[in-house]
Amino acid sequence: MAPDVAIVSYALPTGVDPPALLAYLDKRFPVIAEAEASRSYTVLDTADRRLRAAGVDLDLEAGRGGTRLVLREAGGRAPLVADVRRPRRHRYLLRDLPAGQLRDRLGPIVEMRALLPLATVRVGAQLVRVLNADDKTVARVSLASPMALVGSGDARPVPLTPRVDVSGVLGYAKPLGRVTAAVRRGPKGGLVDDPVSVADEAIAANGGDPDGIRTKVRVDLRPDQRTDRAAVAVLVDLAGMVEANLPGTLADLDTEFLHDLRVAVRRSRSVLRELKGAFLPEPLATQRDALRWIQAITGPTRDLDVQLLDWDHLVSGIPADRHAALAPVRALLVRHRAAAFRALRRELRGPAYRQAWDGYRSFLAGDLGPARERPDAKQPIVDVAGRRIRKVYSRMLAMGADIDAASPATDLHELRKRGKELRYLLELFGGLWPRAVVKPMVRSLKELQDMLGVHQDREVQATYLRGLAGELASSTGGPAALLALGVLVDRLDAEQHEARDAFAARFAAFAAADQQALVAKVFS
Amino acid sequence: MRVVATYNIKGGVGKTSAAVNLAALAAQDGLRTLLWDLDPQGAASFLFRIRPKVKGGGGKLVRGRSDVVDLLRGTDVEGLDLLPADFSYRHMDLALDATGKPTRRLRKVIAPLAEHYDLAMLDCPPSISLVSESVFDAADVLLVPLIPSTLTVRTFAQLGDFVSGEVAHRPRIVAFFSMVDGRKRLHREVVSTLPASNMDDVVASAIPAATEVELMGVERAPVVVSAPHSRAARAYRSLWDEVRPRVGV
Repeated sequence: MAPDVAIVSYALPTGVDPPALLAYLDKRFPVIAEAEASRSYTVLDTADRRLRAAGVDLDLEAGRGGTRLVLREAGGRAPLVADVRRPRRHRYLLRDLPAGQLRDRLGPIVEMRALLPLATVRVGAQLVRVLNADDKTVARVSLASPMALVGSGDARPVPLTPRVDVSGVLGYAKPLGRVTAAVRRGPKGGLVDDPVSVADEAIAANGGDPDGIRTKVRVDLRPDQRTDRAAVAVLVDLAGMVEANLPGTLADLDTEFLHDLRVAVRRSRSVLRELKGAFLPEPLATQRDALRWIQAITGPTRDLDVQLLDWDHLVSGIPADRHAALAPVRALLVRHRAAAFRALRRELRGPAYRQAWDGYRSFLAGDLGPARERPDAKQPIVDVAGRRIRKVYSRMLAMGADIDAASPATDLHELRKRGKELRYLLELFGGLWPRAVVKPMVRSLKELQDMLGVHQDREVQATYLRGLAGELASSTGGPAALLALGVLVDRLDAEQHEARDAFAARFAAFAAADQQALVAKVFS
Repeated sequence: MRVVATYNIKGGVGKTSAAVNLAALAAQDGLRTLLWDLDPQGAASFLFRIRPKVKGGGGKLVRGRSDVVDLLRGTDVEGLDLLPADFSYRHMDLALDATGKPTRRLRKVIAPLAEHYDLAMLDCPPSISLVSESVFDAADVLLVPLIPSTLTVRTFAQLGDFVSGEVAHRPRIVAFFSMVDGRKRLHREVVSTLPASNMDDVVASAIPAATEVELMGVERAPVVVSAPHSRAARAYRSLWDEVRPRVGV
């Protein structure tokens, strides 16, 4: 139950322009055509197109009255609008937006990601109102001729597909049906349903990928494909993700560019390790070293990002009267993070990184060497990956069975690392097996990994915070901050213990007899 | 959703004109706006070319037996919807009286719409009755048009006393001068000297007695839409700019 009205969009086919459609409508309905109005706006979305996935359009409009964000959603609901300042560093983070409905709507979708300008559009639109016998508007038809403005400075307009949007008026469903039917028939054999959005077309015209930066590998693997070719196809796709996330990482637009870059590197390392029989030992060792080094130089910044991303959650769990005392701790973390990022940027812009990455790319693009020296090279990927999944799974069973209340935290960390291997194998190659088998396995693994992740994160965070004590003691507000820090570390320890308490149940689900039987049967 | 009611015990003072124009301006500002035409004469419905007809009538509506969403009609102003008038509203007092807690009923009728609208504007019939008491209960702000005359000022003071004394949920009262004729000395004097007693607020913007406002019945559109640059439209814009922060939208 919502007083929303339907909006239907169509693309005009070649040879039908807005004036032709207007003439067509004019013959069939009493209409009033308003004067054409033009507006320009910038399409905003996160790098991974979260807003598009959620069915939300967010436009930045700059005019004489100032700059404003306009959020539109499917269903004809009235747009949400917020006045904003011009973006700093070509992005908005949630904290840059004024409190209100628009920010509340964006929050759960966008989370920590930056809203970035993805394309600039100029639309000339003519509104045609369809009237009833009382001259009351009963449907609206908008005829739009959008253009993408491509390039910076003297932007070049690139015409996009003209469109027609038909929108209803609340309480007048019948006339809307008549107008929609007429528009669908359209002049010259009908209009095209569900066109690609203006935003997507404009992004593509600008040379961008309307799907944004992917986090999921998209490679069509065949079960009988040679393992070396399957591995390289996956690695090339992952290398593309590393490169796609590098500019955003260097510009420090948001924390997730670095995160996604690291995930792509970690997955690549996993492929090289698990499918090592597809490669010659020597180039393989060099490339694994190169990727390990990239993982290492990006680690400190990410660890501090996690500290800061978790900050509100952690602080919310300690008494409010201690919050102010924690300000120096947070300030210190921010300073450390800035220093870590500067070091990271130096490395990523430096010759060592370029050399490592170029070498890795050449390795992927070059000759892998004689197949006879690579035992798994010609094996079907379904056999090799299946074997590895079975192996890693049974290794995890053995490791998990050895863990008890007295086991050190490092045992859980080692299990987690194995779990990541298994998860990547399932994510990257799981498509070779029935979804009904892989999905529950991924689910029970994910639940175990989430728990192990909290356990490890809290360990790292507590250790890091304890290490701040010396520096804090000598700063303004230091003694009070030290006391509050103790409470914070206690909270981290408590969360770590909670996670540990959940281990037995999570591991039992992961290691259930039916799951073991299924793995043995399917991945044999 | 904030609720504003244009109200005056007297008729012909510019309640409907204010309601339709301010609602149109709110929608133009991007607020999701609802206008409820509570007056059985249906002037606001007429101005938006919408039949003053509610399926099941006012009785069914106030008893909570109608799905209020099904009764809504979109106007020609984007973002502004209308809950139309119905001639049966002339018996709304009786219908309210037949329900439990009659003064709470109108608030209950529009409650399901709160998630869909930022602002509800109620255009009330002139009188002090059970309907007006229910309006006072539902409204966050009572917007009171005043024609500048001694008698009007006295009636307004009575309204202030009544709302202060009799109404449990006391809306904020905001008054403005309406149908002001600058050629009349009395108008000029009252506008400049109205005492502030019993009033939360008297705003500075005044709506002139203007031909464009009278022509709304011919144009069948708010003056802010049909003649947006006219003196009257500018006055409504100025009034809305003053009222909006007091409403809190």
